Amino acid sequence: MGVIRFDNVGRVFGSKAKPFVALKDINLEVSNKEFVAIVGPSGCGKTTCLRLVAGFDFPSSGRVLVDETEIRRPRPERAVVFQQFALFPWKTVYANIELGLRNQNVARAEREDRIRQILELMNLEPYRDHFPHQLSGGMQQRVAIARAYVLDPEVLLMDEPFGALDAQTRVVMQEELVRLARRNPRTVLFITHAVEEAVYLADRVAIMTRAPGRIKEVLDVRSIREAEKWDSYEKIEDVMDLESFVHLRTHIWRSLREEKAAAAA
Amino acid sequence: MPRRLQIGGATILVLVILWYLSTTVFGLIAPGRFPSPQATIDALGHVLFRGYAGGTLIEHIFNSLRLVILGFLVAVATGVPLGLLMGWNRTAEALINPVFLIIRPIPPLAWIPLAILWLGLGDSAKILVIWFAAFVPSVINTYAGVRTIEKPVLEAAAMLGTPRLRFIREVLVPASSPMIFTGLRLSLQASWTTLVAAELVGAFYGLGRVLNVAQQDLYPGMILVGMIAVAILGWATTKALGKLEMRALSWNQAAALAGRG
Repeated sequence: MGVIRFDNVGRVFGSKAKPFVALKDINLEVSNKEFVAIVGPSGCGKTTCLRLVAGFDFPSSGRVLVDETEIRRPRPERAVVFQQFALFPWKTVYANIELGLRNQNVARAEREDRIRQILELMNLEPYRDHFPHQLSGGMQQRVAIARAYVLDPEVLLMDEPFGALDAQTRVVMQEELVRLARRNPRTVLFITHAVEEAVYLADRVAIMTRAPGRIKEVLDVRSIREAEKWDSYEKIEDVMDLESFVHLRTHIWRSLREEKAAAAA
Repeated sequence: MPRRLQIGGATILVLVILWYLSTTVFGLIAPGRFPSPQATIDALGHVLFRGYAGGTLIEHIFNSLRLVILGFLVAVATGVPLGLLMGWNRTAEALINPVFLIIRPIPPLAWIPLAILWLGLGDSAKILVIWFAAFVPSVINTYAGVRTIEKPVLEAAAMLGTPRLRFIREVLVPASSPMIFTGLRLSLQASWTTLVAAELVGAFYGLGRVLNVAQQDLYPGMILVGMIAVAILGWATTKALGKLEMRALSWNQAAALAGRG
């Protein structure tokens, strides 16, 4: 299982005298094996949402639950992929992926087996003995995704994972993530400010308001994707050309622009 | 031979020729103030084969080197763990930092009289003084190394469920190791400086002792031999530490580039 539930969550930073309300009244449920993307203007608190589920941060009010249990600390069952990869530069690709398995006391033979599989899936076999600095950004993020996926987590938390990559690499990674997510579905909470990315990847897209961040609306992408058979197209640009895709994207853009306008006013 | 080494060698050769010309050939510098190359070589032969200031050069070198390495190791073995603790634990930092603020402004050499008073002219006083000097850079740089670790790296380790000891060994120490090595280099330099100073003030053996006795004997050749010996040893130990650093930090691109240059 891996059901995430935000239950009236608020998060206030800063001092009592000068509080900054980052999140207010967040209510959202991500069901088991569902892929939910959160989009919103920068500084709206979308990353804070993810950090609450990861156990890196805690709500000031309300509760964040995974499988009806309140989150107390980071756990491998809730694996995180960071925007800046956060690999261990002193460890090889193999050792980076291996650490989580060692922490779970997985036997050596099984570790090798599982790492070999994930390396193959992520096209990383030739790099198993490389150090992170010898790899491109896209490759590094592949290692970070492999490091999270190999743990077979109930929940996968991705914090703008492709934000630091160039446009071409980004597209390739998006296609690969779709492939991975369809093949081995997980509950995914995906943070991004890229609207196309959210629509292409997610089952549902949650749009956040500017600070204090709230969830403005949640769009069901999955039913449209299934009705319009997006997954029958192999390339992202073919999907992005579909009228149904354009329609959704434009809707989100408008919604976000209202936020920008409100911020400027 | 690499070009850098060729140029370096040429520079030293020119200096030696200038030295020879200005002392032996033209007599621009009085032999009582600065020795000629010949006088230096004579002094070297003297201390090498017949001994000077209580021992041969090899014995003095052995003694100084042993004390530097011992003092350095004691300082590092205490300083690095303390730096890690202070960097990682707010309470430890709050407890220890005030002590540091009081002790840090005291020049390490100012501890020499107290060390001799407590422990006499033997080895233990020297090791104590080296410890005072070499301990601080190890602590400060290790501490800074821990504090500059990128937060996501720590969060990644936590997210992967890394147990405490493994976290220290495989994340905290390697992540701070570039700064730890900076601390070690400074500690090593401090070890040599303080050892020679301590031996100058009072010792039975050692290169500082050679310098001290030669000064009293008005023996410039021997003073120069002592100075050159200290320089070569300091250079060699720093080089050895640099080799170790390059091996330990082979994963670090910046260090690898610096090592190549």
